Amino acid sequence: MGRLWIVRLLVCAPFLAASTAWSADVHGRSSTQFLWFNNFFDGNKQAEFAEYLNMSITNIDKAGKFSIEGYGRVSQDVRNGEGLSGRLYYLYGDYRGLYDKVDIRVGRQWVNYAAGTALIDGGRIDLRNIGPIEFSAMGGRNVVFSLNSESGHEGDYAYGLAAHLAGFKNTNAELSWFRKLDEGDVARDVIGGTFEQYLFKNIKLYANARFDLASEVFNEVLAGVKYYPTADLILTGEWFQSYPTFDTTSIYSVFAVDRYQEGVLRADYSINEYISVSGGYNRQEYSEGASADVYEIGTSIKPNKKLTINLSYDKRNGYGGNLNGGTAEIFYYPVNSLELAGGIQYDVIKRDSLTNEDYARKYWFGGKYRINNRMSTTVRVEDNVNINFSSDWQGRVVFNYDF
Amino acid sequence: MKRIFFFIMLLGFVLVYLQQQSYAEKEADKQGASKNGSYRKENHREYANIANLEIKDCNACHKDEGVAPNHDADFFRGHRVLADNPGNNCSQCHDQAYCLDCHQGGGSGENPATLNFGRDYKPKTHRSDFRVLHPIKALDNPQNCYRCHDQRYCNECHARFPGNRLKFNITSHQFSDIKLKPDGPTHANFQPSQCPTCHPNSVVPAHQWSSDHAREARRNLQSCQSCHEDGNVCIKCHSARTGLKVSPHPRNWGSIKGNLKDRGNGRSCIQCHDAGRF
Repeated sequence: MGRLWIVRLLVCAPFLAASTAWSADVHGRSSTQFLWFNNFFDGNKQAEFAEYLNMSITNIDKAGKFSIEGYGRVSQDVRNGEGLSGRLYYLYGDYRGLYDKVDIRVGRQWVNYAAGTALIDGGRIDLRNIGPIEFSAMGGRNVVFSLNSESGHEGDYAYGLAAHLAGFKNTNAELSWFRKLDEGDVARDVIGGTFEQYLFKNIKLYANARFDLASEVFNEVLAGVKYYPTADLILTGEWFQSYPTFDTTSIYSVFAVDRYQEGVLRADYSINEYISVSGGYNRQEYSEGASADVYEIGTSIKPNKKLTINLSYDKRNGYGGNLNGGTAEIFYYPVNSLELAGGIQYDVIKRDSLTNEDYARKYWFGGKYRINNRMSTTVRVEDNVNINFSSDWQGRVVFNYDF
Repeated sequence: MKRIFFFIMLLGFVLVYLQQQSYAEKEADKQGASKNGSYRKENHREYANIANLEIKDCNACHKDEGVAPNHDADFFRGHRVLADNPGNNCSQCHDQAYCLDCHQGGGSGENPATLNFGRDYKPKTHRSDFRVLHPIKALDNPQNCYRCHDQRYCNECHARFPGNRLKFNITSHQFSDIKLKPDGPTHANFQPSQCPTCHPNSVVPAHQWSSDHAREARRNLQSCQSCHEDGNVCIKCHSARTGLKVSPHPRNWGSIKGNLKDRGNGRSCIQCHDAGRF
């Protein structure tokens, strides 16, 4: 299915490129890439050519209400026998403002409600400008990408409804229902909601919840507050809890599970235009006495317009294992059209009292050169050093053309 | 308790609605906004086309407007609440590719700092050797993985490795290696039908393994599913037909079993129970 869609998309591409005589505008990006990496499933090095096409066709009709959006990729392995693979991320027609109240979107698309998220081959209708509450409905075949293709079955569908507040300056709220079918049976049945409230010009309250109708539990509950006394300082406090829930068609849906909770305290502060810092603490509770503590700090330093340095470190101790690690990145812009970058990622891991301490390091460098307003090229090369490899080089070379 | 909770929620929504209506009417009077008092958020599409626009420029304006800076350093964790609302304005600056490059893998590779996992690009949370890190990272809010990966993704990847290679030396995986006596055979040598011979009435010895594996499973059942996709290992003891016949159901099973049976068409029930007996 995926390959067929991609072939259709590519067959259409020449017509789109020849459409300058049309009234329609065609914009997008062609990204031609060469990637080499270690296929750790079989231990062989793999090299692939990939072509990404991201396009937008607008002004198709006189009123400019109809547009077509598409995004997909094909890749061909030239070394490891993996052959041709591809993904059609989306390809939909979008008609906005029918009677100034209805938006219609048909085709493969990404839909995101508080109750659930899905990539569907189907349609979505939004009803707006009708009062303080607006509505949305969506439905279609549920598309699931696997490692190399799509892994959906016949009878996999997703559909849902949402209502949200509109026309309020300081309040956003949404209530939605999401249902997923697995080979024709109802696998998920969820009600979700989000809420945001701005207060006193410097406080934001927010919440998010999902209630699983089959298991009759709140699969997720999030409540948080952000306080921003100045534009440079943001203080965050959050509480989150979840119960694992499973498709009703899975044997795991009948098992007892425990609640997970976490509390987050965090501060993000831009000291001046040269330095910003952040720090956070996360307390994780896994029930029955298990817990973990996560501390993180980070900074971004811009001594001048040509140089940026990002540093971050986090430390986790507790249930499930210990993890210490961080990243260091440097970006240098010697001239406007050139960006040079490099970095290190380092982690020390200890899974269990019976296991040894492992480590993982990644060294990377890259650069981007803007040839002109339409063309640019990017290179990234990295070496992975860890328990599995003493050295594992991989990277990509990219040529982007904007049209 | 649930009724009280929903009543408070409902009351809260009504109060917020009334407060907002009052506020909007005052704003409409002051600013000459629409006569029904509704407030339309500013369209940000033109900002997306401004060259070299930095987040601090956005933040300064947001602060003046009393709207929280959205794209802060915590954006990776915090953007979900913003994006979940169908009325969001994400699409004024970002196309769907912007979301899907992280959520579904792949992208134009324009940023040299962007990480790769083969042909798929991955977010910064997946740093260094994520294969080694991910069992720990998956515990930092177990729901996070499923925001981008279907459960089948876990199975497909884990299925490519021999079981013993991923079988860590932790107590939840030692059942088959437990010996009947110091010089006796291990449990791996027996079939589920033989269990009642030594464990009459489904009695499990007060063995450390029995409590440890149950606790681990309750805390982290999703990780069990990653390798044992169809739960065959669990059913050896938890089936109603064979083995020890230990019930794995939660306390509220009586009120939810009908939900699961009706929605799933009994597909999970039939794995452990005879037809017509669940």
